[in-house]
Amino acid sequence: MRRRAFTRGLALLIVAYGFATWWVFTRSAPLVSARPVTIRLAHWQIEKGPPDGLAAVIKRYEEINPRVKVEAVGVPSPIYRQWLRTNLTGGTGTDIVEFAYFLGGVGDVPVRYFEPLTRFMEIPNPYNRGTKMEQIPWRRTFADNLYLMVSQSPEIGQIYGVTLTQGSMRLFCNRALLKEITGATIPPKNFLEFRALWAQVADHAKRTGRPLHTLAGSRSNAQWLLEMLMQGCVTRLNLELDRDGCLSRNSPQVLEDYLNGRWSAKGPDLRAAYALMREVCLQMRPGFAQLSRDDAIQEFVRGEALFIFSGSFDATSLRELAPFPVEAMHLPQLTQDDPVVGPFIKGPFLEGLLGTGCEFYLNKNTRHKEEALDFLRFLTSVEGGQIFTERSGWLSSIRSVPTPPELEVQRAEFNGYYTGIFYMGMGPNSEIAFKQNFHLLVTPQGSVDRFVEALEANMKAALTEDLRLDLHNRLAGVRAVDSEIIAMSALNRVLAVSPERASRQQTLAANQTLAEQRALESAWILARRGAPNSSH
Amino acid sequence: MPRVSPPSILCALLLGLAALACAETRAAGEVSGAWELVAQHLPADALARLKNSSGNADRESALAQAIVLMDSQPATDEKMRDVVSRLESLGRGDDEIALAATYMVGRVYQAHFFAADLGRAAEVYEALAARQPASYWAQLALVKLAVLKLYALPQPAGPPARVAAAEALLARVTDPILQRDLHVVIGRARLFHDLPGVLPHLVAAARVGGFAGVPRSDLQLQVAELSRREGNWAQAREFFEEFITENDADPRAYAVRIKLEEIAAVYPAAKGIAP
Repeated sequence: MRRRAFTRGLALLIVAYGFATWWVFTRSAPLVSARPVTIRLAHWQIEKGPPDGLAAVIKRYEEINPRVKVEAVGVPSPIYRQWLRTNLTGGTGTDIVEFAYFLGGVGDVPVRYFEPLTRFMEIPNPYNRGTKMEQIPWRRTFADNLYLMVSQSPEIGQIYGVTLTQGSMRLFCNRALLKEITGATIPPKNFLEFRALWAQVADHAKRTGRPLHTLAGSRSNAQWLLEMLMQGCVTRLNLELDRDGCLSRNSPQVLEDYLNGRWSAKGPDLRAAYALMREVCLQMRPGFAQLSRDDAIQEFVRGEALFIFSGSFDATSLRELAPFPVEAMHLPQLTQDDPVVGPFIKGPFLEGLLGTGCEFYLNKNTRHKEEALDFLRFLTSVEGGQIFTERSGWLSSIRSVPTPPELEVQRAEFNGYYTGIFYMGMGPNSEIAFKQNFHLLVTPQGSVDRFVEALEANMKAALTEDLRLDLHNRLAGVRAVDSEIIAMSALNRVLAVSPERASRQQTLAANQTLAEQRALESAWILARRGAPNSSH
Repeated sequence: MPRVSPPSILCALLLGLAALACAETRAAGEVSGAWELVAQHLPADALARLKNSSGNADRESALAQAIVLMDSQPATDEKMRDVVSRLESLGRGDDEIALAATYMVGRVYQAHFFAADLGRAAEVYEALAARQPASYWAQLALVKLAVLKLYALPQPAGPPARVAAAEALLARVTDPILQRDLHVVIGRARLFHDLPGVLPHLVAAARVGGFAGVPRSDLQLQVAELSRREGNWAQAREFFEEFITENDADPRAYAVRIKLEEIAAVYPAAKGIAP
């Protein structure tokens, strides 16, 4: 009896073991990858769209590279900075890392942990064979030639990463609501028609008793919209201030211009622009400046706002979350017959910078540098870009990747002026002053006069401090170049002479000299025109 | 007592030489590795690398150690005095390291002390230029000296005298690339001080070429736009077109296309430009 039970038990054990073995080898994921190389890629794009796009690119890459397995690691953005620093410091960082300077406090990360890619950028991307980009250097296959990437680089001219996508800012419209309000689905063609629509929305809200505004409001969405409109309003002003002939003004130049008495918030151009700001903000629900981007999205998908102004990065989410058809459209342009800002309009404004983003960097300490670089090349090839766009609903950063018709409206174009600064804070002090006084402009009880008066009361001191801070930062940057210049020369002395190093030394020295000259010009103006006793 | 044969002495000598050569190669490797880290702005890592080559007190290591010290935090004035002392000591030699070290003495006075000593920096640059005027470091020192004369030194007083002093240095800068840089500096200084004669300097620099990135596109635009303002349509068109060809993704491209249309309207030879 006991023996039979033992036999049964043993048989059961063997069957269970056999079943488990069969399951492990045939049904479950392999315990160890069958591929000799596994590379991992960390990113924070876990909203709807991009993860699917990345997965599709990875699948295709693995098909054509059977040796390599690629794993995408999605990390929520609120903890990304800490996650990044901890893993890179601990030597457990992924082979490829999404990174951006706006994470804050990460300025040292690229030089410390990422491999410069500059030397690969003048070589065509091998995955572009058979396409229009076949002969084009890798860098020039990006829609912006990696212009933004280079401008942010901690080392002059050094390229540390590649970009995956390009974005634009658009008005997203609740088409059903537009038809309900206007009887048609024709979007406003210019700002005059946009204004007329505001009145119709207000009237509809009053008649139906529904909570309804023209624009979904939040701090971020309002800022994006106002910045773009301000670009249109200040084009003429910026070009008038442009003594240097660079066709744009940057922050230190505008700070110097103010101290030289060349502009003020009291000027008719800026007063008109602020009046437009007030008009636009009154089309959002009261208290919008306290609300987050998620609040605005919820307001829109609840049908309580006709439009939301946001980036193409929200397009897929809006389409999938909203229970109504969402249509992306261009922000109506300001024209010279505009009753508020018309006299100051030079021409159409550029609808945002044609910058590419969603940057991926190569971990300097990866054990699979060659494979990781190869994957970055595929990710940013015409084929990789096309797969990403089709599956994510996001535009590719790569030139000649076909844009699906439904995304065409999101493609950034050089369709207007971009002249730099837009006078909503030119540095931390002036930005704080602008934000602290913003309520005087945009609340129903506010006015342009009250806002301008409050802003100008402390403007000189604030802008002086901003210029001092900017000068301090620029000099720190200039100072850091000295060691690199000496190192380039030393390396050509102790190793075989490299023309690349010699050329970099020349570039560094030239850029340092020009940056130093600009810094000394700021110092010259500060010494003669700056506020003597700043209260900041 | 074992006999020592001549072949074994020879072997021992060869082994000794090989060991010495290996040690030197390793030390050289450590120094070049340290310079690579300096170039990547990782002074702490470079310092650790240099410590591995301890005992090697050659001039290259000494220069690297001084630069690493200059680059590492905290950057105190006491530390900078130590750096200057090390660099001055190296500067007493008669090789390229001596010239580079002397140039860096000027740079430390100009940019690395908490309060810059621009007068001392200018003296060092002048002395270096007098010592070996044709060397790269002396030529670069002259460019730096010109920038100081234009904006920062107490003398000469007044913008025209400052610009004249900088222009006087042009003849002494014979390195074509550094002469180019000096032309840009003087052209922009004339613009800043509201003095005429900006364009000849900027055009001279642009004709040399070799700038990259933003400095290149800014110079192209400056030459083009300032030429347009002076009515030099052909030159304006040439540089606007060069800008557009190289910078189709620059946000200023739209404005440039409008300028080209305007030029085509007033300057018949420019017609046919596709905006």
